[in-house]
Amino acid sequence: MIQFFRSAVPGLVTLLFCLVFFPLHLVAAEEGEYIAIRKEGSGNIALVLDKLDAKGRKETSYAQSLDAIMNGGLDFTRLFSLISPPLNVKDSSDRKNIVINFPALTSVGAEVYVGGAVTMKSDEIILEMKVYEAAGSKLLMNKIYRGNEATLRTMGHAFCADLVELLTGKKSVFGSKIVFISNKTGFKEIYECEFDGYGPKQLTNSRSISMNPVLSPDGKHLAYIDFTSGRPTLYIKSLIGGRIASVGKSSVSIDPGWRSNSEVGATLSFDGNQEIYLVNIDGTLSRRVTNSKSIDISPTFSPDGSKMAFVSSRNGLPQLFIQDLASGEVKRLTFSGRYNTQPSWSPAGDKIVYTTWEKGGEINIFTIGSDGSGLVQLTRNCGENKSPSWSPDGEMIVFTSNRQGKEKLYVMSSKGGNERVLLQGDGEQTQPSWSLFR
Amino acid sequence: MKKNSVVFLALMVIAGCSSKSTVTPDEAPISQPSLRSSSSIPPSSPSGYGFDQWQTGPLGDVFYDYDSATLSIDAQDQLKQNGGWMDGNASKSALIEGHCDQRGTSEYNLALGDRRAASAKEYLVRLGVSSSRLETVSFGEERPFAQGQSEEAWAKNRRAHFVVK
Repeated sequence: MIQFFRSAVPGLVTLLFCLVFFPLHLVAAEEGEYIAIRKEGSGNIALVLDKLDAKGRKETSYAQSLDAIMNGGLDFTRLFSLISPPLNVKDSSDRKNIVINFPALTSVGAEVYVGGAVTMKSDEIILEMKVYEAAGSKLLMNKIYRGNEATLRTMGHAFCADLVELLTGKKSVFGSKIVFISNKTGFKEIYECEFDGYGPKQLTNSRSISMNPVLSPDGKHLAYIDFTSGRPTLYIKSLIGGRIASVGKSSVSIDPGWRSNSEVGATLSFDGNQEIYLVNIDGTLSRRVTNSKSIDISPTFSPDGSKMAFVSSRNGLPQLFIQDLASGEVKRLTFSGRYNTQPSWSPAGDKIVYTTWEKGGEINIFTIGSDGSGLVQLTRNCGENKSPSWSPDGEMIVFTSNRQGKEKLYVMSSKGGNERVLLQGDGEQTQPSWSLFR
Repeated sequence: MKKNSVVFLALMVIAGCSSKSTVTPDEAPISQPSLRSSSSIPPSSPSGYGFDQWQTGPLGDVFYDYDSATLSIDAQDQLKQNGGWMDGNASKSALIEGHCDQRGTSEYNLALGDRRAASAKEYLVRLGVSSSRLETVSFGEERPFAQGQSEEAWAKNRRAHFVVK
C-alpha cells in the first residue's frame, strides 16, 4: 500500500486517510530528490527482489552471485520484508518486451519490485537494475552498475545503497567498515571487516596488546592503543600513507575517540592523573579538556564536535558526563546504574549508547538522550554485552557479547531487538567500532 | 603556586590521607608513612603478604580492594619494606605495574591500574625513594595473574606488581 504524492496538501489528506484506515501500512511521499517510504507502525518495506536476467554461462553465474549478494545485503539492513517473486511475475510471451505482472505482485503484498539483468562487454560486467512501485506500476529508478568479477560485491551493494536511499531518504550501511580486536593469533591485534562481517582482515601484527581501534570520520586514519613500547600508547596511523604518529609524552594512554578528521580525544596520564586531551593527527597535543583528580576516560563527541561525553569517577563510581568544549561546563548525564562506561555518541547526535555493569554481574547496553531523557535498555539476561558502537546510519549497534561463552561480535537494532552474531571466528573478538560515512 | 597546591592535593588523595577523597569511604584509616626510618624496616623476605608464585623478587606486591587504588595497612607495610630494600640498593630502580581483575570494562580498568601503580609509587616517594627510580605502567585487566572467576582469583589480580630493573 504505497501512495505517491506530488504536492503536500493532497498528500497530507491522503496521509491522514491512510493513518485512519491503514495505520500499519506504508505511506510514501516524494520529498526533494528521493522517494521516502515511511514506516507507519512496525512494518518493513515489502519487496520482491527478482532473479536477475542473464544469457550465457558467465553472465548467469555472475547473476547468481549478485542475486545472493543483494539478497544478503538487503536482509542485513532489516528494513525490508523480502517476498519471493510470484511464478507469473514476468510475462515473456512477447520476446522483445518482457511485461511485469504488477497485479500478481500486489496480490502477494509486494510494495516494491526490483528486477534487473546482467550482460557483458568483453570482460566488463554490466548490471542494469530497475525499481518499480508495485501498486502504481511506476518505474522509480533505472541505473547501470559496471565492474568485473572482483567487484561483484561492491556492485551489488552499490545498488542496495541506492535502493535504501531511494526508499528511505537515508544513507545506509553499505560500504561501511567495522574495526575490532581479535586474539585469534594469541595476541590482541586489530582487524577490520565489512559492515556485515564479511572479509575480516588483520591490520596490525605487533604481537603485543592492541586496544580500542577507531577510524576517523573520513576513514583516512586509525587511532588505537598498543603496548608494543611496553606501556599503553596512543598511535594514529594514516591508512593512506601508512605513517604512524604516537603521543611522545611518557604516560598511559587510554581509549581514543575522534572529534573531527584532524583531532582525537584520548586520556593521557603524564601529569600524574588520567585526564582527557585533544591530540592532533601528528601526535602533538592540541589541548587539555578535563581537570579533575579522578579518572576521566572514553571521550566521544557530538557530530558537530562542540560537546564531549565521557566517563568520570569524580563522584565516586564511574558515570557519564557531558562537557561543553567552548565553555567548559560539565553536566552529569547518567543517574541510574552504579558503573556506567563505554559511551558512544550517535551519528544523528540525539543519543548516547553506553554500558552498565549491573549488580548481578551482567553488563547491559542502554541508550539515553544526549539531554538525559529517554533511557532505554537494549540488552538483558545474556551475560556481558560491551563496547557498543553505532552504524553510520544510526539504525544498528555493533557490540560484543559472551552470551555463548567466548566474546563475539553482534549487531542489533539501535532501538533494541534483532540481535545476531556478526562474525564467527577463532578466539575472541572485542571492542568493535563502526566507521562513519565517507 | 596554584600548580603546587594541585600537586599537593593529588598526593593527599593518592596516599589516601583525605578520607573525603577516597573512592571507598569504608576504607580503614591510613597512617602517615614515616620518612627515612629505614633502620626500623624489617628486611624484605620472599614470603608473606606481597609474595606469591607471581612475585619471587626482592620487592613484594601490594593488593587493592574492588574498584579502589587506596592503600590498606598491609599494603603500606609492604611498601615500607620495599622502600627499605630500595634504600639499601641505591643502584636499582623498579617498574610498578598496576593490574585489575577482569570484571567491569577494560578501558576503566586500564585507568584504575594506572592509579594503583601511581598510589604505590607516591607512597614510596614519600618514604624518600627518588621518583626517578620508580617507573609506573598499567596493564588494566589485560595480564591477569590468577585465572578463574572467583573472589580469590580477582583479589590476586588487583595488585601493583614490582619488577626490579
